[in-house]
Amino acid sequence: MSLLQLVINGVALGAAYALVALGFVFIVNATGAVNFAHGDLVMAGGYVAVSLGALAPVPTLILLPLVAIIMFVLGLALALLAYFPLINRPPSTVFISTLLCGIILQNAFVVLFGPQARAAPPLIASGAWHLGQIEISVQALGTMVVAAVLIALQYMVFARTQIGRRLRATAEDRQMAQAIGIPAYALIAATFGLGTALAGIAGALLANQFFVYPTGGISLSVYAYIAVVIGGWGSIAGAVIGAMLISLFQVVVSAYVSYAVATGLLYTTLLLIFLVRPQGIFGERVQRRA
Amino acid sequence: MVTLGRLGSTILKPASRTGRIGRSVIAGLAVAAVGTGIAHAADVYLPIVMPITGFLSVEGGSQRNGAVMALEHAPGGKTVEYPIFDTGTSATGAATALDKALSNGKAVAAAVSVFGTEMVAMMPVASEYKVPLLTISGLAKITESGNPYIFRFLPNDREIKVAHARYVVEKMHKSKIALISDTTAYGQGGFALLKEDFGKLGVKPVYEDSSIAPDTKDMTPLLIKVKGSGADAIVVHSVAAPMALIAKQAKAMGLNLPIINSSSLVEPTATALFEPAELANVCAETPSAPEARATPRVKEWADAYAKRFGMEPDGLALGQYDGVMMALTLIAAGATTPEKLGDALQKSTYEGVAMTYKSNGHGDLAHDADIVCWDGTSRIPKVVEHYAGEQMVLK
Repeated sequence: MSLLQLVINGVALGAAYALVALGFVFIVNATGAVNFAHGDLVMAGGYVAVSLGALAPVPTLILLPLVAIIMFVLGLALALLAYFPLINRPPSTVFISTLLCGIILQNAFVVLFGPQARAAPPLIASGAWHLGQIEISVQALGTMVVAAVLIALQYMVFARTQIGRRLRATAEDRQMAQAIGIPAYALIAATFGLGTALAGIAGALLANQFFVYPTGGISLSVYAYIAVVIGGWGSIAGAVIGAMLISLFQVVVSAYVSYAVATGLLYTTLLLIFLVRPQGIFGERVQRRA
Repeated sequence: MVTLGRLGSTILKPASRTGRIGRSVIAGLAVAAVGTGIAHAADVYLPIVMPITGFLSVEGGSQRNGAVMALEHAPGGKTVEYPIFDTGTSATGAATALDKALSNGKAVAAAVSVFGTEMVAMMPVASEYKVPLLTISGLAKITESGNPYIFRFLPNDREIKVAHARYVVEKMHKSKIALISDTTAYGQGGFALLKEDFGKLGVKPVYEDSSIAPDTKDMTPLLIKVKGSGADAIVVHSVAAPMALIAKQAKAMGLNLPIINSSSLVEPTATALFEPAELANVCAETPSAPEARATPRVKEWADAYAKRFGMEPDGLALGQYDGVMMALTLIAAGATTPEKLGDALQKSTYEGVAMTYKSNGHGDLAHDADIVCWDGTSRIPKVVEHYAGEQMVLK
């Protein structure tokens, strides 16, 4: 087992974290709102995959579009419940309302699925490929491919399309966007839907190897927040880099020191970034953050 | 015949997915009703105060089921009221819930949490109300602190870790141990006891790591270090999820060392995460293994449990069942006040389904443990070793 193996494992886990962070960034970019129910939405996606897998025993890859659609609807519901009623309140209000929605989701998971951990079907198949001493599971490889495709798509949407520019304009200044004819509310609702769909896909990918359980989203919300802070608020590339950095600390650094020390080093790095480059590695200036 | 207790037992049973929402709503109403002070019509008031939600809700659910099963079959024709209070897997939640439970009626006893941290928080409340607490928490110190209201129906961690260590050293003949735990209080406590017991057996672990966070996902770094240490066995004391990941990922990377776990792995909800082949060469300690149905009496009980709750039982459920049933038997025999019941629990011997219960004078009534192993063909383990009494003490 070599450093290369650890890096591959770290990238595979980082790809899933990146998807989690991207859904978070998606909503931040379009609304400026910090969605702290995001980790719980990842778990919701895992539970949707578990449920669909029980109904139709097929690989999760086939179920992913359905997972995304169901999660899109859940995202719309979240926007209607936790964002729109508070749209004119300070950002911290939305932060709290999404946090509360996350707690409601956790309790809903306990009621609907029980407290125990569950595993979703594999993305394509179980097993692993071997290249000499290096091993990579089919699930991990599939996760990396799906994450890469979705990251590229998200970048294209925000950077190269008219709708992406409108989404960003809405996030920058909703009133001004509305004044020039952008349907801001519809775009915000769609953004919550798409960001939640991304969270759901991440959950479906994570739920096979790492299980899904009611409180599993708490740490994912924190990782998403950290990834976005490290990478730069609102930056897609930054979120991916931030997510990779977290997973590399968890997988590579912890091979040389204990998990506790690796976690301490990760948060020390975060503090250093705050000090040296508070806007993050690829940071964009924003007016407010919760 | 029960009053509110019957409602409570019905609404909280972990049966099929259908109807869970409805039952939970009714459960909330039931608990709320208790909180507002409903009149008590039953002969006996014995509340259940356990972690129904939170990270120990799997274990709390098992012990609740065991308690409910006993309360549904109270001997001597007594009617029992047993509202269920959720501690939320938190110390403050537990103390508050127990205070609420005991202030709502004249309890003769309470069936309480498996979680040691919660037990520590509930002990002063028990002293205040002078009510016996029937628990299966393994935390050694709860019966070592001189509180006369604590009665434990599972071996304490100090005893059961002796069985854990002795099996590894004396039966498996392993001497190069990788000792691993998570960062929960449960993990840390078990890690310290195992390290002490291995020392008494003349074994110094070749690798130690007690820093595994419960939400750790990739165990590769840990397993690489274990492999590099030259260990001939992996001993884990942890809650279910990280333990399952360690066992699965070790198999996936071809690290075929025997893994001897703490009892969290014996829970059916934990073994459900594995393909049977992934459980080959995996063992665990457990106070009892009702799912193995090793005796006719255990089989009868396990079948009744599976029929009642729609799931396989575990040692936590059986321990709590035996504890509550012992208390109910003593109540039926005349120990109808908390004082009389506490006295009877200290002095009586009770032949339970899992084992014979007899207090050591400090409230520890259970002194048996099993080691179970899986053969890779089934998720149901086999009992391979039994420890009892003096065998669970290392000088």
